[in-house]
Amino acid sequence: MARRYDTRTTIFSPEGRLYQVEYAMEAISHAGTSLGILATDGILLAAERRNTNKLLDEVFFSEKIYKLNDDMVCSVAGITSDANVLTNELRLIAQRYLLQYGESIPCEQLVSWLCDVKQAYTQYGGKRPFGVSILYMGWDKHYGYQLYQSDPSGNYGGWKATCIGNNSAAAVSSLKQEYKENETTLAEAQALAIKVLSKTLDMTKLTPEKVEMATLTRKDNKTIIRILTNTEVEKLIAEFEKTEAEAEAAKKQPAKS
Amino acid sequence: MSNINLQCLLGIQCNDFVMIAADQSNSHSIMIMKDDEEKIYKISDRLVMGVIGDSGDTNQFAEYIAKNIQLYKMRNGYELGPSAAASFTRRNLAEYLRSSTPYFVNVLMGGYDKENGPELYFMDYLASSVKVPFAAHGYGGYLSLSIMDRYHKKDATETEAYDILKKCVQEVHKRLFVSLPNFQVTVVNRDGIKVLPTINSASLQ
Amino acid sequence: MSILAYNGGAVVAMKGQDCVAIATDKRFGIQAQTVSTNFPKVFQMGPTLYVGLPGLATDTQTVFQRLKFRMNLYELKENRMMRPKTFSAMLSNLLYERRFGPYFIEPVIAGLDPYDNQPYVCNMDLIGCPNEPEDFVVSGTCSEQLYGMCEALWEPNLKPDELFETISQALVNAADRDAISGWGAVVYIIEKDKITEKHVKTRMD
Repeated sequence: MARRYDTRTTIFSPEGRLYQVEYAMEAISHAGTSLGILATDGILLAAERRNTNKLLDEVFFSEKIYKLNDDMVCSVAGITSDANVLTNELRLIAQRYLLQYGESIPCEQLVSWLCDVKQAYTQYGGKRPFGVSILYMGWDKHYGYQLYQSDPSGNYGGWKATCIGNNSAAAVSSLKQEYKENETTLAEAQALAIKVLSKTLDMTKLTPEKVEMATLTRKDNKTIIRILTNTEVEKLIAEFEKTEAEAEAAKKQPAKS
Repeated sequence: MSNINLQCLLGIQCNDFVMIAADQSNSHSIMIMKDDEEKIYKISDRLVMGVIGDSGDTNQFAEYIAKNIQLYKMRNGYELGPSAAASFTRRNLAEYLRSSTPYFVNVLMGGYDKENGPELYFMDYLASSVKVPFAAHGYGGYLSLSIMDRYHKKDATETEAYDILKKCVQEVHKRLFVSLPNFQVTVVNRDGIKVLPTINSASLQ
Repeated sequence: MSILAYNGGAVVAMKGQDCVAIATDKRFGIQAQTVSTNFPKVFQMGPTLYVGLPGLATDTQTVFQRLKFRMNLYELKENRMMRPKTFSAMLSNLLYERRFGPYFIEPVIAGLDPYDNQPYVCNMDLIGCPNEPEDFVVSGTCSEQLYGMCEALWEPNLKPDELFETISQALVNAADRDAISGWGAVVYIIEKDKITEKHVKTRMD
């Protein structure tokens, strides 16, 4: 049944669904996880790195986190080649705005312009949608630190903390449990990110090779974007394991006595 | 032959406000067709633009910019600041300059920025844009700039700035070979845009 | 009158020992009338890379914005700094794209290579023909005077403070013999991990 409405993205199925868009979303739910957390004094993105073969020639430092302009960074989940096209488009949109208005593009406008492109690919004939969800973090003078998420249909929304990719539903629900509104500092957000990632990635032990993290803060009226080094990530993981072990010990203690 | 230099635009920026004055004559060749033309356009709540040049171009260009800046506000829910608005205007003027239909207009933009206070931008028809404390367009500028050089100070009040403009208009009336009887004056400050009384020979008495 | 001399202005750059310097005047005028004495013609494009764009002011601004556009994209895509030589090639290409309707600027580039710290200076004509000499480059409305001054004052292996003195004297004295350059100057001395920006006072007439 689905076959008749599959071949073209422009056609609704009798149940009112767009299969190609749904398949694209499905593709993303198998992709590496990315999460973002908004803090009071900054914002962060963290991503799972899948290609960790030691034979890989590492040209780029980060695989899934891309700087877009002076004030914005994004993290992608989905088909990498599609993501490359979209990040390129994002950077172009940001530069065109800078050329026209002489200042950085406000965060939501950049997300919105890109989503117009994404939406077009779900409507105009013969094209398949982009198999990519994106998390954006940024700062602008209108609304300060912001976190956005967009999906293949061209929908987008602003979030305090969210997750895309493999096992994202579980991550979002644990973020919902642990996130404290308006009182999370960036340091706490980093610890939380590692904690949630270690749960969702379903690995026995988290390694710095598997995790990428970037932070965005403001200092002296300038945006500072930092991609954390392996040692910094390692330190975060070590800290997480320490508190985890302590919690474990605390749990066992009353049982013994 | 264009009459762009026979028209006159004056602008003064101080700590608390920016004030723009424009003559109100519309002339064709040797004839004055109108002496109550509005050459200062309200662009948004705290932004005005004085425009002189070819008569069709001034109106067309000013409205094009004004409507686009209005559209920006409708789309995004916040306004474009004066510096972004000036960049936008410059970009458009520069792109039209190298098209088959350039706009022949000189512009002064005055706006009040939430963070940076009042700002004045001088822009000529070639789309060179500079932020200045005071400026003038047209032959009137040759007479007015020296007056503004002498009397402009950063902490002037609106009354003092209005008096400087009066001195400039007085000089234009006395020494300039074209008749520019009326000057409309607009001021932009923290509270918004305010139209001040027209300067003419009657009010200069 | 040449369109390159409509707004006035001058830029010069020199090599020293493990350092380079670039200097510019601050005037913006419309023919003989000075409109602003704070108009930047030299821009920082990287930690140790500067470009000066003297000529028609509108094109100074347009070319700077377009350079920034291309350079930002380059650095995001490549994830590394741009070398001065690469920057020259990019600018040359940008100018030659407008071979039959050029931007009316004659650029000067000065910088240290971010990878081997080699001093680099270069200038171009308005359609992007590059020239990379071993001593100094000049451009703008007083380029003849600048050539004379540089030819007389420059010598090989100048230290940063000597280079500052040399380039400042060259620019200030050349601009004083030009009616449409001057009104203050800015000098940048570029060393491996230090940039010195000095504002030089000059005659204001």
